[in-house]
Amino acid sequence: MTPFERDGTEVEALLTDLYLERVLARHGTDRGPADAGLDPALRRASDRLRRDLTRVHPSFRFEERLALRLAEAAAAARLPAAVGAGTGAGGGVVTFRGGASVANDGFDPLADDPDDERRELPVPLLIGGALTSAAISIAGAAAYVAWRWARPGRGASPMVRAARAVREAHRAGGAAST
Amino acid sequence: MAGPVFGKARPSEEGGPRVTHLDRDRSLVDAARRDPAEFDALYRRYLAQVYSYAYYELGDHHEAEDVTERTFLAALANLDRFEERARPADGDGASTFRVWLFRIARNVVANQRRTQRRRPVAPIEAAAHVADGVDVEAGAATRDEAADAWRAVARLPADRRRAIVLRFVEEMSTAEIAGVLGKSEGAVRVLIHRALRTVARDLDRGGRP
Repeated sequence: MTPFERDGTEVEALLTDLYLERVLARHGTDRGPADAGLDPALRRASDRLRRDLTRVHPSFRFEERLALRLAEAAAAARLPAAVGAGTGAGGGVVTFRGGASVANDGFDPLADDPDDERRELPVPLLIGGALTSAAISIAGAAAYVAWRWARPGRGASPMVRAARAVREAHRAGGAAST
Repeated sequence: MAGPVFGKARPSEEGGPRVTHLDRDRSLVDAARRDPAEFDALYRRYLAQVYSYAYYELGDHHEAEDVTERTFLAALANLDRFEERARPADGDGASTFRVWLFRIARNVVANQRRTQRRRPVAPIEAAAHVADGVDVEAGAATRDEAADAWRAVARLPADRRRAIVLRFVEEMSTAEIAGVLGKSEGAVRVLIHRALRTVARDLDRGGRP
């Protein structure tokens, strides 16, 4: 996209925005205001979305259930404040952590993630898994190298070498215990 | 239409223009900070908006309820962390209580998607369910037309879809949407403009992609 095209898009976007301001301000009318400066197709789409995308309301039962839950959380938060007031600690702004259901998994709802679509992928899990695998591999390799250097009789078969290693380990364990 | 929550005050006595906060929720937030029980007023004011946003995002009533509950519990628990001051990254006039609340909702929705074990419902599949849940008001289109419109919106990339929902369903200003999405106002305007172009094309084809 050339700078000229980009500027053109921004100007069109600004015109669209101004039109939407007026459309959304007109409650109860089927059509938005006439606007010669805006593409008629965009105007029709805006009018259609304003008409068809309506707010979805929760059930009354849910509303009251959540209100009760919040009231309980608020009461729990007020309790420490009341205790503080009784001991002369003073009032003021109450700081509390009532959202246990949110905080349990370590998720901070205030930590912004500008690209939350990417969060739908289990990236941290994959990274964690890779790191764990790498750590296991490094530890395994270190143990193998140590064993290779310590082993006697390099020409023996793997089974013999393993038996010797076990015997050596037993010896070392016995010496340590005595 | 929600009125602007930020604005330019009259020029100060020194002569220069002065930008001030006009957060309409200030008194309610202050009351809730003094006494958490007062949070109920903020809850009642924004319940339907948060729920509706979650429902349009997830296409499922139960998940929308779950997100709404987590959002308000988190807001109540973290009210002391709310700052009315706008951040430069948010552009002119951003962080009001509503913007802050919707940022939480957005993060909770993202977390919900990330942590849910079952396969998330793709937006296009959710379109029919969303349209079923939308209460077609008197004078509005038929349910089929509403479903066509929502399908066209559901086919949009996530950031454009989100911007459209915040603009048309929640009737947020560009500045508020910029605050929620963490983008500049100019970027939001272009997002919505391009989204409308795509939706217009879809609708002109009779709702087919």
